[in-house]
Amino acid sequence: MDASEVEFLAEKETVTIIPNFSLDKIYLIGGDLGPFNPSLPVDVPVWLALNLKQRQKCRIVPPAWMDVEKLEEIRDLERKEDTFTPVPSPYYMELTKLLLNYASDNIPKADEIRTLVKDIWDTRIAKLRLSADSFISQLEAHAKLDNLTLMEINTIRTFLLDSLNCMYKLRSNLQPGSSKGQFKDF
Amino acid sequence: MMDALSDDGSDVNQDDTQEDVMTPAELIAKLEEAWLNEKFSPELQENKSEVVECVMEQLSHMEENLQRVKKGDAKASIHRMEIDRIRFVLSSYLRSRLQKIEKFFPHILEREKSRGEGAPSLLSPEEFAFAKEYYANTETYLKAVALKRMPPNLQTVDMLKAVPEPCLDSFVFLRVKERQENILVEPEADDQREYVVDLEEGSQHLMRYRTIAPLVSSGAVQLI
Repeated sequence: MDASEVEFLAEKETVTIIPNFSLDKIYLIGGDLGPFNPSLPVDVPVWLALNLKQRQKCRIVPPAWMDVEKLEEIRDLERKEDTFTPVPSPYYMELTKLLLNYASDNIPKADEIRTLVKDIWDTRIAKLRLSADSFISQLEAHAKLDNLTLMEINTIRTFLLDSLNCMYKLRSNLQPGSSKGQFKDF
Repeated sequence: MMDALSDDGSDVNQDDTQEDVMTPAELIAKLEEAWLNEKFSPELQENKSEVVECVMEQLSHMEENLQRVKKGDAKASIHRMEIDRIRFVLSSYLRSRLQKIEKFFPHILEREKSRGEGAPSLLSPEEFAFAKEYYANTETYLKAVALKRMPPNLQTVDMLKAVPEPCLDSFVFLRVKERQENILVEPEADDQREYVVDLEEGSQHLMRYRTIAPLVSSGAVQLI
Protein backbone atom coordinates (compact mmCIF):
# COMPACT_ATOMS: atom_id res chain seq x y z
CA MET A 1 0.00 0.00 0.00
CA ASP A 2 1.18 3.42 -0.83
CA ALA A 3 1.72 5.97 1.94
CA SER A 4 -0.62 8.31 0.09
CA GLU A 5 -3.36 5.70 0.37
CA VAL A 6 -2.92 5.59 4.13
CA GLU A 7 -3.19 9.36 4.10
CA PHE A 8 -6.36 8.99 2.04
CA LEU A 9 -7.84 6.84 4.81
CA ALA A 10 -6.72 9.34 7.43
CA GLU A 11 -8.61 12.07 5.62
CA LYS A 12 -11.86 10.34 6.59
CA GLU A 13 -11.29 11.21 10.25
CA THR A 14 -13.39 14.09 11.48
CA VAL A 15 -12.06 17.40 12.70
CA THR A 16 -13.85 20.45 14.06
CA ILE A 17 -13.86 23.60 11.96
CA ILE A 18 -15.21 27.08 12.48
CA PRO A 19 -16.64 28.16 9.12
CA ASN A 20 -16.94 31.79 8.03
CA PHE A 21 -19.82 31.15 5.63
CA SER A 22 -23.30 29.73 5.96
CA LEU A 23 -24.68 26.74 4.11
CA ASP A 24 -27.58 24.35 4.67
CA LYS A 25 -27.11 20.74 5.62
CA ILE A 26 -25.36 18.70 2.93
CA TYR A 27 -26.53 15.15 2.29
CA LEU A 28 -23.40 13.31 1.22
CA ILE A 29 -23.45 9.63 0.31
CA GLY A 30 -21.30 8.89 3.34
CA GLY A 31 -23.50 10.82 5.78
CA ASP A 32 -24.94 14.25 6.46
CA LEU A 33 -22.81 17.32 7.15
CA GLY A 34 -23.58 20.70 8.57
CA PRO A 35 -25.49 22.98 8.65
CA PHE A 36 -22.69 25.55 8.46
CA ASN A 37 -23.06 28.87 10.24
CA PRO A 38 -20.39 31.53 10.64
CA SER A 39 -18.37 31.05 13.86
CA LEU A 40 -20.32 28.00 15.00
CA PRO A 41 -18.06 24.95 15.27
CA VAL A 42 -19.05 21.94 13.15
CA ASP A 43 -17.49 18.50 12.59
CA VAL A 44 -16.41 17.62 9.06
CA PRO A 45 -14.05 15.05 7.51
CA VAL A 46 -10.45 16.18 7.19
CA TRP A 47 -10.55 16.19 3.38
CA LEU A 48 -13.30 18.79 3.44
CA ALA A 49 -11.71 20.78 6.25
CA LEU A 50 -8.45 21.09 4.29
CA ASN A 51 -10.27 22.08 1.13
CA LEU A 52 -12.26 24.78 2.94
CA LYS A 53 -9.11 25.95 4.70
CA GLN A 54 -7.23 26.28 1.44
CA ARG A 55 -10.06 28.38 0.08
CA GLN A 56 -9.90 30.40 3.32
CA LYS A 57 -13.46 29.55 4.24
CA CYS A 58 -12.81 28.18 7.71
CA ARG A 59 -10.53 27.95 10.71
CA ILE A 60 -9.52 24.46 11.86
CA VAL A 61 -9.74 23.61 15.56
CA PRO A 62 -6.83 21.25 16.30
CA PRO A 63 -7.86 17.92 17.85
CA ALA A 64 -7.63 17.78 21.65
CA TRP A 65 -4.52 15.60 21.63
CA MET A 66 -2.60 18.02 19.42
CA ASP A 67 -1.31 19.84 22.43
CA VAL A 68 2.27 20.26 23.61
CA GLU A 69 1.67 19.03 27.18
CA LYS A 70 -0.31 15.97 26.19
CA LEU A 71 2.18 15.03 23.51
CA GLU A 72 5.08 15.44 25.93
CA GLU A 73 3.39 12.98 28.30
CA ILE A 74 2.89 10.51 25.47
CA ARG A 75 6.47 10.90 24.35
CA ASP A 76 7.86 10.29 27.84
CA LEU A 77 5.65 7.25 28.32
CA GLU A 78 6.60 5.91 24.92
CA ARG A 79 10.30 6.24 25.82
CA LYS A 80 9.84 4.59 29.21
CA GLU A 81 7.81 1.55 28.14
CA ASP A 82 9.24 -1.28 26.11
CA THR A 83 5.93 -2.04 24.45
CA PHE A 84 3.89 0.18 22.20
CA THR A 85 1.73 2.59 24.17
CA PRO A 86 -1.73 3.61 22.92
CA VAL A 87 -1.60 6.55 20.53
CA PRO A 88 -4.00 9.49 20.71
CA SER A 89 -5.35 8.84 17.22
CA PRO A 90 -4.97 5.87 14.86
CA TYR A 91 -3.79 8.38 12.28
CA TYR A 92 -1.72 10.67 14.53
CA MET A 93 1.20 10.96 12.12
CA GLU A 94 -0.87 11.60 9.01
CA LEU A 95 -3.17 14.08 10.73
CA THR A 96 -0.26 16.00 12.22
CA LYS A 97 1.37 16.22 8.84
CA LEU A 98 -1.80 17.27 7.02
CA LEU A 99 -2.96 19.79 9.58
CA LEU A 100 0.47 21.32 10.14
CA ASN A 101 1.14 21.60 6.43
CA TYR A 102 -2.13 23.24 5.51
CA ALA A 103 -3.34 24.89 8.68
CA SER A 104 -0.29 25.65 10.80
CA ASP A 105 -1.61 29.18 11.44
CA ASN A 106 -4.59 27.67 13.35
CA ILE A 107 -2.46 25.47 15.57
CA PRO A 108 -0.64 27.00 18.51
CA LYS A 109 3.03 26.00 18.86
CA ALA A 110 2.99 24.19 15.55
CA ASP A 111 6.75 23.69 15.45
CA GLU A 112 6.90 22.14 18.90
CA ILE A 113 4.10 19.77 18.01
CA ARG A 114 5.85 18.76 14.82
CA THR A 115 9.01 17.89 16.75
CA LEU A 116 7.13 16.03 19.48
CA VAL A 117 5.15 13.90 17.04
CA LYS A 118 8.34 13.16 15.14
CA ASP A 119 9.98 12.08 18.42
CA ILE A 120 7.07 9.76 19.22
CA TRP A 121 7.18 8.35 15.71
CA ASP A 122 10.93 7.74 15.84
CA THR A 123 10.73 5.99 19.20
CA ARG A 124 7.94 3.74 17.96
CA ILE A 125 9.64 2.90 14.68
CA ALA A 126 12.82 1.97 16.57
CA LYS A 127 10.75 -0.38 18.74
CA LEU A 128 9.07 -1.75 15.65
CA ARG A 129 12.44 -2.51 14.04
CA LEU A 130 13.61 -4.26 17.19
CA SER A 131 10.50 -6.41 17.44
CA ALA A 132 10.60 -7.25 13.74
CA ASP A 133 14.18 -8.36 14.21
CA SER A 134 13.33 -10.65 17.12
CA PHE A 135 10.24 -11.92 15.31
CA ILE A 136 12.42 -13.11 12.47
CA SER A 137 15.33 -14.41 14.49
CA GLN A 138 13.06 -16.44 16.80
CA LEU A 139 11.08 -17.88 13.89
CA GLU A 140 7.78 -16.79 15.34
CA ALA A 141 4.59 -17.65 13.52
CA HIS A 142 2.31 -15.19 15.22
CA ALA A 143 2.67 -11.72 16.66
CA LYS A 144 0.25 -9.44 18.41
CA LEU A 145 0.54 -5.86 17.27
CA ASP A 146 -1.86 -3.87 19.37
CA ASN A 147 -1.57 -0.09 19.31
CA LEU A 148 0.34 -0.06 16.05
CA THR A 149 -1.10 2.35 13.51
CA LEU A 150 -1.67 1.63 9.86
CA MET A 151 1.08 4.04 8.80
CA GLU A 152 3.58 2.31 11.08
CA ILE A 153 2.62 -1.12 9.76
CA ASN A 154 2.85 0.25 6.27
CA THR A 155 6.42 1.51 6.62
CA ILE A 156 7.63 -1.97 7.48
CA ARG A 157 5.17 -4.08 5.48
CA THR A 158 6.92 -4.74 2.19
CA PHE A 159 10.30 -5.37 3.69
CA LEU A 160 9.13 -7.59 6.56
CA LEU A 161 6.67 -9.66 4.55
CA ASP A 162 9.06 -10.20 1.66
CA SER A 163 11.86 -11.29 3.95
CA LEU A 164 9.54 -13.65 5.81
CA ASN A 165 8.46 -15.16 2.50
CA CYS A 166 12.04 -15.53 1.34
CA MET A 167 13.07 -17.20 4.57
CA TYR A 168 10.13 -19.54 4.34
CA LYS A 169 11.11 -20.45 0.82
CA LEU A 170 14.70 -21.13 1.81
CA ARG A 171 13.70 -23.13 4.86
CA SER A 172 11.11 -25.27 3.19
CA ASN A 173 13.72 -26.01 0.53
CA LEU A 174 11.24 -26.80 -2.16
CA GLN A 175 12.15 -27.47 -5.75
CA PRO A 176 10.99 -24.90 -8.26
CA GLY A 177 7.88 -26.16 -10.03
CA SER A 178 6.48 -28.03 -7.08
CA SER A 179 3.05 -26.92 -6.04
CA LYS A 180 4.01 -25.31 -2.74
CA GLY A 181 6.40 -22.56 -1.93
CA GLN A 182 5.99 -20.51 -5.02
CA PHE A 183 5.85 -16.81 -4.69
CA LYS A 184 4.17 -13.87 -6.14
CA ASP A 185 6.99 -12.99 -8.46
CA PHE A 186 7.52 -14.86 -11.65
CA MET B 1 -31.23 25.43 -6.65
CA MET B 2 -29.94 24.57 -3.23
CA ASP B 3 -33.25 23.02 -2.27
CA ALA B 4 -33.25 20.84 -5.34
CA LEU B 5 -29.93 19.41 -4.32
CA SER B 6 -30.69 18.71 -0.70
CA ASP B 7 -34.05 17.15 -1.58
CA ASP B 8 -32.40 14.82 -4.04
CA GLY B 9 -29.76 14.01 -1.51
CA SER B 10 -32.30 12.84 1.04
CA ASP B 11 -34.04 10.87 -1.70
CA VAL B 12 -30.90 8.89 -2.23
CA ASN B 13 -30.89 7.91 1.42
CA GLN B 14 -34.48 6.79 1.37
CA ASP B 15 -34.21 4.85 -1.87
CA ASP B 16 -31.41 2.78 -0.58
CA THR B 17 -32.88 1.89 2.77
CA GLN B 18 -35.98 0.66 1.01
CA GLU B 19 -34.39 -1.79 -1.39
CA ASP B 20 -31.48 -2.70 0.84
CA VAL B 21 -31.10 -2.70 4.61
CA MET B 22 -27.74 -0.93 4.35
CA THR B 23 -27.47 2.82 4.53
CA PRO B 24 -25.25 4.45 1.90
CA ALA B 25 -22.65 5.15 4.59
CA GLU B 26 -22.52 1.47 5.51
CA LEU B 27 -22.31 0.61 1.85
CA ILE B 28 -19.22 2.79 1.43
CA ALA B 29 -17.71 1.23 4.56
CA LYS B 30 -18.30 -2.23 3.04
CA LEU B 31 -16.58 -1.15 -0.14
CA GLU B 32 -13.59 0.12 1.81
CA GLU B 33 -13.33 -3.14 3.76
CA ALA B 34 -13.44 -5.13 0.54
CA TRP B 35 -10.82 -2.81 -0.96
CA LEU B 36 -8.33 -3.31 1.89
CA ASN B 37 -8.93 -7.07 2.06
CA GLU B 38 -8.37 -7.36 -1.66
CA LYS B 39 -5.22 -5.24 -1.52
CA PHE B 40 -3.56 -7.28 1.20
CA SER B 41 -4.69 -10.85 0.62
CA PRO B 42 -2.42 -13.01 -1.51
CA GLU B 43 -5.35 -14.67 -3.32
CA LEU B 44 -8.46 -13.34 -5.01
CA GLN B 45 -11.40 -12.79 -2.65
CA GLU B 46 -15.03 -13.50 -3.43
CA ASN B 47 -16.55 -10.92 -5.70
CA LYS B 48 -18.69 -8.24 -4.12
CA SER B 49 -20.63 -7.31 -7.23
CA GLU B 50 -23.69 -6.35 -5.18
CA VAL B 51 -21.71 -3.76 -3.27
CA VAL B 52 -20.02 -2.55 -6.45
CA GLU B 53 -23.33 -2.20 -8.27
CA CYS B 54 -24.98 -0.36 -5.40
CA VAL B 55 -22.06 2.06 -5.17
CA MET B 56 -22.14 2.67 -8.92
CA GLU B 57 -25.85 3.35 -8.68
CA GLN B 58 -25.31 5.84 -5.88
CA LEU B 59 -22.58 7.57 -7.85
CA SER B 60 -24.57 7.88 -11.06
CA HIS B 61 -27.64 9.01 -9.16
CA MET B 62 -25.62 11.73 -7.47
CA GLU B 63 -23.99 12.73 -10.74
CA GLU B 64 -27.36 13.05 -12.44
CA ASN B 65 -28.45 15.39 -9.69
CA LEU B 66 -25.28 17.43 -10.04
CA GLN B 67 -25.90 17.84 -13.78
CA ARG B 68 -28.88 19.97 -12.93
CA VAL B 69 -26.96 22.30 -10.63
CA LYS B 70 -25.34 25.41 -12.02
CA LYS B 71 -21.59 25.79 -11.98
CA GLY B 72 -19.88 27.27 -8.94
CA ASP B 73 -22.42 26.01 -6.43
CA ALA B 74 -20.67 25.45 -3.11
CA LYS B 75 -22.61 22.29 -2.30
CA ALA B 76 -22.05 20.79 -5.72
CA SER B 77 -18.29 21.07 -5.40
CA ILE B 78 -18.36 19.26 -2.06
CA HIS B 79 -20.53 16.54 -3.54
CA ARG B 80 -18.12 16.22 -6.47
CA MET B 81 -15.17 15.83 -4.13
CA GLU B 82 -16.96 13.03 -2.31
CA ILE B 83 -17.81 11.32 -5.58
CA ASP B 84 -14.17 11.50 -6.64
CA ARG B 85 -13.04 9.91 -3.39
CA ILE B 86 -15.52 7.06 -3.65
CA ARG B 87 -14.68 6.52 -7.28
CA PHE B 88 -10.99 6.28 -6.39
CA VAL B 89 -11.67 3.48 -3.89
CA LEU B 90 -13.95 1.71 -6.33
CA SER B 91 -11.51 1.75 -9.21
CA SER B 92 -8.56 0.86 -7.00
CA TYR B 93 -10.58 -2.12 -5.75
CA LEU B 94 -11.54 -3.33 -9.21
CA ARG B 95 -8.03 -2.74 -10.50
CA SER B 96 -6.42 -4.83 -7.78
CA ARG B 97 -8.84 -7.66 -8.62
CA LEU B 98 -7.92 -7.47 -12.28
CA GLN B 99 -4.24 -7.54 -11.41
CA LYS B 100 -4.76 -10.72 -9.43
CA ILE B 101 -6.76 -12.28 -12.24
CA GLU B 102 -3.93 -11.50 -14.66
CA LYS B 103 -1.44 -13.02 -12.27
CA PHE B 104 -3.25 -16.23 -11.36
CA PHE B 105 -5.70 -16.70 -14.24
CA PRO B 106 -5.30 -20.48 -14.80
CA HIS B 107 -5.82 -21.24 -11.10
CA ILE B 108 -8.78 -18.92 -10.78
CA LEU B 109 -10.45 -20.43 -13.84
CA GLU B 110 -9.73 -23.91 -12.52
CA ARG B 111 -11.44 -23.03 -9.26
CA GLU B 112 -14.42 -21.69 -11.14
CA LYS B 113 -14.67 -24.98 -13.04
CA SER B 114 -14.55 -27.14 -9.93
CA ARG B 115 -16.99 -24.92 -8.02
CA GLY B 116 -20.14 -26.76 -6.99
CA GLU B 117 -23.62 -25.89 -8.19
CA GLY B 118 -24.94 -22.91 -6.27
CA ALA B 119 -21.65 -22.07 -4.55
CA PRO B 120 -20.85 -18.36 -4.85
CA SER B 121 -18.56 -17.46 -7.71
CA LEU B 122 -15.19 -15.81 -7.11
CA LEU B 123 -15.58 -13.72 -10.22
CA SER B 124 -18.26 -11.35 -11.39
CA PRO B 125 -19.60 -12.18 -14.90
CA GLU B 126 -17.44 -9.40 -16.37
CA GLU B 127 -14.33 -10.60 -14.56
CA PHE B 128 -15.03 -14.15 -15.71
CA ALA B 129 -15.21 -13.01 -19.32
CA PHE B 130 -11.97 -11.07 -18.82
CA ALA B 131 -10.20 -14.08 -17.30
CA LYS B 132 -11.28 -16.38 -20.12
CA GLU B 133 -10.23 -13.89 -22.75
CA TYR B 134 -6.91 -13.32 -21.03
CA TYR B 135 -6.32 -17.07 -20.96
CA ALA B 136 -7.12 -17.45 -24.64
CA ASN B 137 -4.97 -14.47 -25.61
CA THR B 138 -1.99 -15.64 -23.59
CA GLU B 139 -2.25 -19.05 -25.18
CA THR B 140 -2.51 -17.64 -28.71
CA TYR B 141 0.40 -15.32 -28.05
CA LEU B 142 2.65 -18.07 -26.73
CA LYS B 143 1.77 -20.21 -29.74
CA ALA B 144 2.39 -17.48 -32.27
CA VAL B 145 5.66 -16.34 -30.76
CA ALA B 146 7.36 -19.56 -29.81
CA LEU B 147 5.42 -22.77 -29.52
CA LYS B 148 4.65 -23.33 -33.18
CA ARG B 149 8.37 -23.26 -33.94
CA MET B 150 9.07 -25.97 -31.36
CA PRO B 151 9.32 -29.67 -32.12
CA PRO B 152 5.81 -31.20 -32.21
CA ASN B 153 6.15 -32.96 -28.85
CA LEU B 154 6.91 -29.67 -27.08
CA GLN B 155 4.12 -27.62 -28.55
CA THR B 156 1.70 -27.75 -25.65
CA VAL B 157 2.04 -25.80 -22.45
CA ASP B 158 0.16 -26.54 -19.25
CA MET B 159 -0.88 -23.15 -17.97
CA LEU B 160 -1.63 -24.50 -14.50
CA LYS B 161 2.02 -25.48 -14.15
CA ALA B 162 3.44 -22.52 -16.04
CA VAL B 163 1.82 -19.83 -13.87
CA PRO B 164 2.67 -19.69 -10.15
CA GLU B 165 -0.10 -20.24 -7.64
CA PRO B 166 -0.93 -17.58 -5.07
CA CYS B 167 1.19 -18.14 -1.99
CA LEU B 168 -1.26 -18.71 0.84
CA ASP B 169 1.58 -19.05 3.30
CA SER B 170 2.52 -15.41 3.15
CA PHE B 171 2.08 -13.34 6.28
CA VAL B 172 -0.65 -10.73 6.58
CA PHE B 173 -1.51 -8.02 9.09
CA LEU B 174 -5.05 -8.17 10.39
CA ARG B 175 -7.46 -6.55 12.81
CA VAL B 176 -10.07 -8.68 14.58
CA LYS B 177 -13.70 -7.62 14.23
CA GLU B 178 -15.35 -10.58 15.96
CA ARG B 179 -13.64 -12.47 18.76
CA GLN B 180 -12.22 -15.84 17.67
CA GLU B 181 -11.03 -18.64 19.91
CA ASN B 182 -8.52 -21.40 19.42
CA ILE B 183 -6.85 -20.37 16.22
CA LEU B 184 -4.13 -22.92 15.55
CA VAL B 185 -0.72 -21.43 14.82
CA GLU B 186 1.53 -23.83 12.97
CA PRO B 187 5.18 -23.94 13.98
CA GLU B 188 7.81 -22.28 11.85
CA ALA B 189 10.62 -24.71 12.59
CA ASP B 190 10.62 -28.43 13.29
CA ASP B 191 11.72 -28.08 16.90
CA GLN B 192 8.77 -25.82 17.74
CA ARG B 193 5.33 -26.96 18.81
CA GLU B 194 2.07 -25.74 17.38
CA TYR B 195 -0.10 -23.70 19.72
CA VAL B 196 -3.45 -21.96 19.80
CA VAL B 197 -4.22 -18.28 20.22
CA ASP B 198 -7.44 -16.42 20.91
CA LEU B 199 -8.06 -13.37 18.79
CA GLU B 200 -9.64 -10.66 20.92
CA GLU B 201 -11.95 -8.17 19.29
CA GLY B 202 -10.09 -5.07 18.19
CA SER B 203 -6.64 -6.58 18.56
CA GLN B 204 -4.12 -6.61 15.71
CA HIS B 205 -2.00 -9.53 14.60
CA LEU B 206 0.62 -10.67 12.14
CA MET B 207 0.21 -14.27 10.99
CA ARG B 208 0.00 -16.56 7.98
CA TYR B 209 -2.84 -15.94 5.57
CA ARG B 210 -3.66 -19.65 5.34
CA THR B 211 -4.64 -19.84 9.04
CA ILE B 212 -7.16 -17.04 8.86
CA ALA B 213 -8.33 -17.16 5.23
CA PRO B 214 -11.86 -18.36 6.14
CA LEU B 215 -12.17 -15.55 8.68
CA VAL B 216 -11.38 -12.97 6.01
CA SER B 217 -14.17 -14.16 3.74
CA SER B 218 -16.63 -14.40 6.62
CA GLY B 219 -15.78 -10.83 7.60
CA ALA B 220 -14.62 -11.72 11.13
CA VAL B 221 -11.19 -10.18 10.55
CA GLN B 222 -10.07 -7.23 8.45
CA LEU B 223 -6.71 -7.24 6.69
CA ILE B 224 -4.70 -4.07 7.28
